[in-house]
Amino acid sequence: MGSPIDSWEGAAAYFTGAGGASPTIILLLAIAVCIGVIIIGARSEEKSYSKHD
Amino acid sequence: MEQELADLAAKVAALEEGAGWTTTVNLEVFYWWCTAFMFIIHAGFLAYEMGASRKKNVLASGIKNILAFAFMIPTFFFFGWWIYLAFPGGLVPDFEAGAGGVPWSEAMGPNLTDNATGIFWAAFTLFAATTASIFSGAVIERIKLSGFIMLAILLGSVVWILGASWAWHGDGWLLTQFGWHDFGAAGCVHMVAAFFALGVLINLGPRIGKFNPDGSANAIVPHNVPMATFGLMVLIVGFFGFLGGCIIYMGGEQWVTIFGNPTTLSAIGFNTLMCFAGGIIGGWIMTNDPFWMMSGALAGIFTAASGLDVYWPPLAFLLGFCGGVIAPIGARWLEKMGIDDAVGAVSVHGFAGLFGVLAFGIVASGYPNGDYPDTNFLAQLIGAVTMLLLGLIPGYVASLILKQAGLLRIPENVEILGMDAAKVPALAYPEGMHSPDPNGSKAPAATPAE
Repeated sequence: MGSPIDSWEGAAAYFTGAGGASPTIILLLAIAVCIGVIIIGARSEEKSYSKHD
Repeated sequence: MEQELADLAAKVAALEEGAGWTTTVNLEVFYWWCTAFMFIIHAGFLAYEMGASRKKNVLASGIKNILAFAFMIPTFFFFGWWIYLAFPGGLVPDFEAGAGGVPWSEAMGPNLTDNATGIFWAAFTLFAATTASIFSGAVIERIKLSGFIMLAILLGSVVWILGASWAWHGDGWLLTQFGWHDFGAAGCVHMVAAFFALGVLINLGPRIGKFNPDGSANAIVPHNVPMATFGLMVLIVGFFGFLGGCIIYMGGEQWVTIFGNPTTLSAIGFNTLMCFAGGIIGGWIMTNDPFWMMSGALAGIFTAASGLDVYWPPLAFLLGFCGGVIAPIGARWLEKMGIDDAVGAVSVHGFAGLFGVLAFGIVASGYPNGDYPDTNFLAQLIGAVTMLLLGLIPGYVASLILKQAGLLRIPENVEILGMDAAKVPALAYPEGMHSPDPNGSKAPAATPAE
């Protein structure tokens, strides 16, 4: 995490953590969030509907 | 003298560098504003879809529409852009070509040596969101939100972009092998989304009360036709961003299409306005209904979309007119087949798009396509069948799986009560606007599918 560069001179990819391992972890977390909220949303939806059975 | 020449050379070099940067930044600026305009499409879809819903479902329809957009963006980052880059040859991925689109690529984030990837990714993400919104309107008032989100992701971040890789890519096999041409994405955006929706609608079934036991249809009245009609006009404003995003900025050279032929924004300006007008008039003559007139405007644009870069404007007008006529006829036919498409999306996007793709092959064959075959009817036919099946089959199969898993349709009692009362912690009209009747007024039908 943090800056991958120490100078803007000649900089190319400069996003946080570029070239290191942290983007992979962040990517996996982002995917997990998307999957997780769909699962949570589905459960919440079922719970809401079951109240009206 | 030598010093003067050296100074002059330095000035020329500086000017050349400046011109190069101007070209690069202009490219970003152009697609930046195309993307912004494509957001307006979604403002339109939101108003259109909420207006077409009954009062008891209006907020649930809004939530569904907004979430489709929200989930499209990260998933298109995770795998959508890679699919576009990796699959132009068919179903076997080209990992080398796709390398720049994997989420861990150095191009997929802030990078001072790449001014193009992010802005093109953003524009294509908005195209993806458009496909999800097309699908979203068709299935309102009875689909489960979680099932819908899964289907929207499948459509927007997998299916349509696979179609775009085949049919809207400089190396796409439909172009390189057959000479396919579809400037405004009538095939990979509109047909794929609409026929995906049709596949889902077959499994989802109609809203309760839509059909009588004898198969005849009832009108399910939208709660706010003015809002839906206004939404359609807003959506068309956004399409100027969409169509701008269909053209490639070349800096110091003439614009080109995705298919490599030179064109101009002037050409697109002529033809977009003419087919828009034709679509409204076609919708008007068929229905007298403002909702259908504006749906006709959309259908008119999709009918002429394939050849907006080459058509003579009066031809675009006539094609647009045909789109405006086809859309309500197609919706009525679907209704007779027992399909409840709440906003007429299958007909407006699918049938009009299909007609337009095929019409291009009849009226615009013979245009050169560089090293590839000239435009021709057979290419359009092959492409149309491909886009139809690419939408229909995944939509049908995925929704069938969700149906078996109990994730497709809301319970009957919730559908009767209304989705807002069942799960939305807000009221659409707390001050008692509109009729207190949860099913809306008893006015004559004005929905596209009725």
